[in-house]
Amino acid sequence: MPEHEEDLGGLLTMVAQGDEAAFEAAYDRLARPVYGLIRKVLRDPAQSEEVAQEVLLEVWRTASRFDATRGSAMTWVMTIAHRRAVDRVRSVSAETQREQKVSSFSAVPPEGVAETVESRLDAERARRCLDALTELQRQSITLAYYGGYTYPEVASLLSTALGTIKTRVRDGLIRMRDCMGVSW
Amino acid sequence: MKLGRRVRQGRHELHGLSGLYALDALTGLELDQFEHHLHRCPPCENEVRGFRETATRLAQAVAASPPLALRERVLTAASATRQLAPEVREMPRTPIRLAGHPWLPRLAVAVAAAAVTAAVALGVVQSSTQQQLSRARAENRSVAAVLAAPDARLTVRRTTDGGLATVVASPSRHALIISTAGLPALSGGKVYELWFVTGQTARRAGLLPAPAAGRTAPLLASGVQPGDAVALTVEPAGGTNHPTTTPIVSVPLSG
Repeated sequence: MPEHEEDLGGLLTMVAQGDEAAFEAAYDRLARPVYGLIRKVLRDPAQSEEVAQEVLLEVWRTASRFDATRGSAMTWVMTIAHRRAVDRVRSVSAETQREQKVSSFSAVPPEGVAETVESRLDAERARRCLDALTELQRQSITLAYYGGYTYPEVASLLSTALGTIKTRVRDGLIRMRDCMGVSW
Repeated sequence: MKLGRRVRQGRHELHGLSGLYALDALTGLELDQFEHHLHRCPPCENEVRGFRETATRLAQAVAASPPLALRERVLTAASATRQLAPEVREMPRTPIRLAGHPWLPRLAVAVAAAAVTAAVALGVVQSSTQQQLSRARAENRSVAAVLAAPDARLTVRRTTDGGLATVVASPSRHALIISTAGLPALSGGKVYELWFVTGQTARRAGLLPAPAAGRTAPLLASGVQPGDAVALTVEPAGGTNHPTTTPIVSVPLSG
């Protein structure tokens, strides 16, 4: 677990007690990963902003449900973020919403402003571990996670049997987990 | 998507869905089935946890700055939103629960630890070849895994012939460990045989090892199914396929 992770868990405990200053600090830690992941899945900036707002507000609202014995604080938040993003992709109204909101996004700060050296190194390591997978493992994982596709959709996109995708995703995640030294 | 694919999946196949579940790639029936399975499968829960931590690193690798206006909107919305109260749990879970003996948890841990020590000692002493040794080690690992399972449950029962049977069962691992103390010595090559019992059917579950100083070493029995009880009978040398005598002790394994 990276060193800065501890702070986030502590911040969430304070957030659960209604501490708005702690929530501000948590926002500054969470906004980039939350928005980045949602943007990766949804692509549309306006929709991504909307879902990111929902997710970050959900963090404020449900902070008391964060349980440090069940996973890291960052993972608790990113699990909410990914679920919300794929829910948006899979909701029947997604198509219409996408068309309505194409042109309504606001100013974005230049990339990298808030990025710390530490998070850049983490990101670099994740990319390298991803590159070390077999082609099919890597594609299955990225289509499911970054693409927000369902298991049958991934199988169809890769013209591969469902059972094969199932095994490749699990094997690939085991390799990634070991490569990145995840300790859970 | 093939609509005709199998509707029900075996336990083993369900376990393999952990990766897809962690990436939110399961939907419909498979999602329901896996979530149902997850609550009964601590190893699956652990695996999903590790996979989610892994996915988080992938998320952090694509971090991107949101529009600046988002910050103000989120903070303003938060200050006008009531927060959820925490979920209050009734009782912290202890790793090993005792059926009917709430005052015994420390003894349970002591018995468990002693069982492991005994298993390890016996494994080493009784094995003369490398193959036997590695088999014994594998068995000891399985014994330790059952003892360490979060749902392991320890029951101590007196048998109708006297003496105590100690059972540690883990439904999630489909296995149990049984050891005994003070059971009457048997003559004429007779043995104590272990059974998994559901209703009127009994499945063979192994023979207790010969006692040393009145105690039998921990025996690992796998293949526990939901609703099973475990029972001990006295049988002729070598054991039988069906129980021929009345059980001297029977322990329900769930609930």
